[in-house]
Amino acid sequence: MLVGEAVLGVYRQMFAALARDAGAVVDDPELVDIAETLLSAFAEAGEEGLSREQMRHVCRHHPAEAFENRLRVLRGLGAIREVFPKPNQLRYRASFTSVVGLMFVRRMMLDGGQSEMHRLLALEQLNVADPRMTAEQARAGAEGLGRAFRLWSVELLTLANSTIEELREQAPKLWGTAEIIERAERLHGAILRRWPELDRTCTELRAAIHAYGDASRRAAARLTDSAGTTRNLTLLPPETWRTYARTASREELAGVLDGFVFDAPAPWHDPAAIVTAVQEGPRTTPPRPAPPRPSVPDPGLSDRTPADRSEADRLAGIAEQVLRGRDRVEVHQVLNRDWATARRLLADLSAAHLHPELPYRLVWSDGLRARPGSSPSWLSDGVFERLGEAP
Amino acid sequence: MTQVDPQVLARARARITGPVAFPAAEPVPAGLTRVAAGERVWALPAWPDGATPAVLEEYQTLPMPLDRPGQARRVLAAALRCCWTRLDDAPWPGRAAALTDVLELYATTTRGDAELMRRWAVGDLRRLADTGWLLLDEEAGTVRPGPRTALWAEESLAPLRALLRRMPPPPGGSDE
Repeated sequence: MLVGEAVLGVYRQMFAALARDAGAVVDDPELVDIAETLLSAFAEAGEEGLSREQMRHVCRHHPAEAFENRLRVLRGLGAIREVFPKPNQLRYRASFTSVVGLMFVRRMMLDGGQSEMHRLLALEQLNVADPRMTAEQARAGAEGLGRAFRLWSVELLTLANSTIEELREQAPKLWGTAEIIERAERLHGAILRRWPELDRTCTELRAAIHAYGDASRRAAARLTDSAGTTRNLTLLPPETWRTYARTASREELAGVLDGFVFDAPAPWHDPAAIVTAVQEGPRTTPPRPAPPRPSVPDPGLSDRTPADRSEADRLAGIAEQVLRGRDRVEVHQVLNRDWATARRLLADLSAAHLHPELPYRLVWSDGLRARPGSSPSWLSDGVFERLGEAP
Repeated sequence: MTQVDPQVLARARARITGPVAFPAAEPVPAGLTRVAAGERVWALPAWPDGATPAVLEEYQTLPMPLDRPGQARRVLAAALRCCWTRLDDAPWPGRAAALTDVLELYATTTRGDAELMRRWAVGDLRRLADTGWLLLDEEAGTVRPGPRTALWAEESLAPLRALLRRMPPPPGGSDE
């Protein structure tokens, strides 16, 4: 929608002098497309012209209402006329001036006013060299250009005082100004050399050119200033930044960061980081080789009972062996063996007592048997018993 | 140009130049830690509330990038093993150790071509000296702990002490 708005802005500016009121200027770019379609159809039709039905056929892609509206306006303004000015005329022809005007409109849409200024300057340069050119025409041309430059510099000055976003949006107006100024000054010199009596007009033109140059420099300076301080790299096109980086002197480049203070590099080595670095560093002794693996394949875990289960089974087996069918047995009878065996057996019985799933219990009482010379040299009184039924 | 507070200017200068020694008579700008040894004084940034840049890791912020930080820290550890001989004291000021001892110790504790290791270690020693972690005197062939080691918090030193005790002694036999 923004593009359409911009295009409409160009239209309004261009035809503001012609419009009866604001509503007289088209408010939809499509309407211009209708006019252009019509005019090119007329160009192909030749001297026969087009009938109303043919015109409607050409514009069949556009809504009928818009077409009728366009036809009425174009006829009213004389862009499309009857072939013969008589009542009930059915054939129409198009005006040459409107086509040229439309070409101009399209060019303004594509390039904007600045390149039109280039064209005007080039055209005026040709005119000045033309021997048929009179002093009066030269004066009119110079005055027109002076007026254009004045208005342009006013616009730029307003821009230079407006917000930076607006300035950025309109920034393309600022580019290539040096070339325009150079051309304008060349033209000014040519006019002054050929018609020295036009010096008053030329002074006006010169002042206007200088005013334009000042205004555009100020706007550009504001743009680069704010671009430099905000570090907003989108404020200027990337090409401009690249050119600047390539062509700027060392002082200019250093000036970008003027007023900034940079800390000296201060890497931090934390004691913990040093410890980590040393521990993770490559060592003089190579890491130990892995122990050799057996060459037979690993049987895997599938046919092994879980460690927990088999331990409970083993303890139950030992407990039943000790009990030998009885429900309880005195500990001193059981442990009456050599020290190593007795110790291992006591450990297993304690384990059976502590195992939550096994129904055995060790109960100690107060008595103590001293057995000088025997293998466990003393034994506490106690019983090892089964809780519940025998399996 | 507007008048700038001389304190601010001095502080900015100290931050730009990094750890540069100046005579002990000169005042240290506010906001900087004074690290003194004999007649020389270094002004180093003071960490707020005793936090060190190590907290950057807790905030998942990248610290200042370093080329081969592991190697630089191993060289620093080797230098400390030679210079910081009384481990119960603070590392700063330490004592001067022979450069050759540090290089030899580093070459023996790391794997690889010893000559190459020595050359790399010299480069790392210079970088550590540039940033104030070591004081390097290449003409005299000595190295000392730098003023930045004075910024280590005492409570963070225990693992480093343990590490240095485990490291082999410097080959020069100057270990006590």
